[in-house]
Amino acid sequence: MKRFIFPILLLFLFSCGGEQQNTQTTETKEQAPKEEIAAPTPPSPETPPTMDHNPLGMYVGAFEASKYGAGNAPSYSNLINISINRIEDEIVYGHSVVAGNIRPFEGSVKKVGDTNYMVEAKEPGDDRYDGSFKFSIILGTEASINGTWTANDTKLAVSERKYNLKKRQYDYDPELNLPVSVTYDGLYDTWSGDEAETLTSSVTEINASKAVLKKEDVENLYKADLEFIRNTVYARHGYSFKNRRVRYVFDNHVEWYIPVSTDIRDLLTDVEKENIELIKRYEEHAEEYYDSFGR
Amino acid sequence: MSALTQKFLRNPSLLWSGVILLAYAYFCYLMLDISLQYIPFDTDVAFLRIKQDYIGLEHYKLAFFTHVYTSFFCLLAGFTQFSPFVRKKLPSLHRSGGWLYAVSILFLAAPSGFIIGIYANGGLPSQIAFCLLALLWIWTTGKAIWEIKQKNFQAHRFWMIRSFALTMSAITLRAWKYIIVALFHPRPMDAYMIVAWLGWVLNLLIAEYIIYRLKK
Repeated sequence: MKRFIFPILLLFLFSCGGEQQNTQTTETKEQAPKEEIAAPTPPSPETPPTMDHNPLGMYVGAFEASKYGAGNAPSYSNLINISINRIEDEIVYGHSVVAGNIRPFEGSVKKVGDTNYMVEAKEPGDDRYDGSFKFSIILGTEASINGTWTANDTKLAVSERKYNLKKRQYDYDPELNLPVSVTYDGLYDTWSGDEAETLTSSVTEINASKAVLKKEDVENLYKADLEFIRNTVYARHGYSFKNRRVRYVFDNHVEWYIPVSTDIRDLLTDVEKENIELIKRYEEHAEEYYDSFGR
Repeated sequence: MSALTQKFLRNPSLLWSGVILLAYAYFCYLMLDISLQYIPFDTDVAFLRIKQDYIGLEHYKLAFFTHVYTSFFCLLAGFTQFSPFVRKKLPSLHRSGGWLYAVSILFLAAPSGFIIGIYANGGLPSQIAFCLLALLWIWTTGKAIWEIKQKNFQAHRFWMIRSFALTMSAITLRAWKYIIVALFHPRPMDAYMIVAWLGWVLNLLIAEYIIYRLKK
């Protein structure tokens, strides 16, 4: 009977505490990223470029750190949406959306020549991350905004940022999905060896905005994939993410993404609500049980 | 040094028994912990969070909770049965423990295991694995009881070794899952399917090896 010891001992060797950190890694990158990124589509010959004479609208692009204060863990680059909402008697009214933060601004605007506007505007100043903008709006076939932002508090992790934004239009489109390029990069803060965590192509194949998903569609997915399939629903509605891990992917890899709002709950369709509910179940289950002793 | 400690240190087999007992107690505790997630009765916690398609079915619900609430008793009762000390000095404990073990498996844990096996995660391969496990569990346990009724002690012993190897799959399949996930990070349902088989087939092979050695 003493030989029966063996299987039990084997088990004992692999003591199952359950609390160890096992970040899931996924398949290694198989293709070189650059080859897969679709070339920008050339403008179709039927529609000749038209001049945009309207300075109002959304301007979107990278909001890049250019001066650092003393604070910790700066975000070097976030996607910002600067919206010019109204111009009246040389006063400009607008707001910016970046990293889960919406702030209004107001200031002076001067028309320079036919196509340029110079803007100097301030955020209200009651938020510790407020500051002032200085930019020019350049109209043309491709309208853009170009300028700097300076924090009121020079001790912030980033005290000055620069940006060169393109005018874009936001439309909700349930067909949009993550590009395959999101699977080439490690997720935020998981770049080093053991922690390496990447998305798989599942995130490009499953769309939680189009049709009601069944449990068979989601039960075999990794937690990170589930997390991004769900967040892509929010992204389609223009949700601006505070969470760095999510933001990093959308800000850097998703061309169609525009941060528009910080509360999109009322915009979710019934299909999306149902799918989110389902995905969250599996996400929570994976979080709690994937790498622990149990089922 | 106390007399008990000295006794342990002089007798390696006693030391081993202590180690096994501790390991087994630890895993039983983990199993109990899993069962306790469902107390108080709740159909939307833990594993059931991803079983919402089926938990509405009355027979599934009945089978699931029967399984969760009884399996711990099989593990506990089963373990006492292999101790030569209990067998020789406390035959009545051996008999009542055996009765608890057999009844809880034959009438509760195994039939309920079969029913939830039909709805197992991981597709057809998992479903076959769990249903087959339940049938073999009933067969080996039933056979062991039948043999002792015939006073075939040797055959009783061998069938109980097989039965208990299958009972142990509750622990081994969860341990394998932990190991496989830590090493290979498979997709969740792939892991599920692998351990559905690995969890008891390997145990049964080890049981056969033990029986083979005992026969020699």
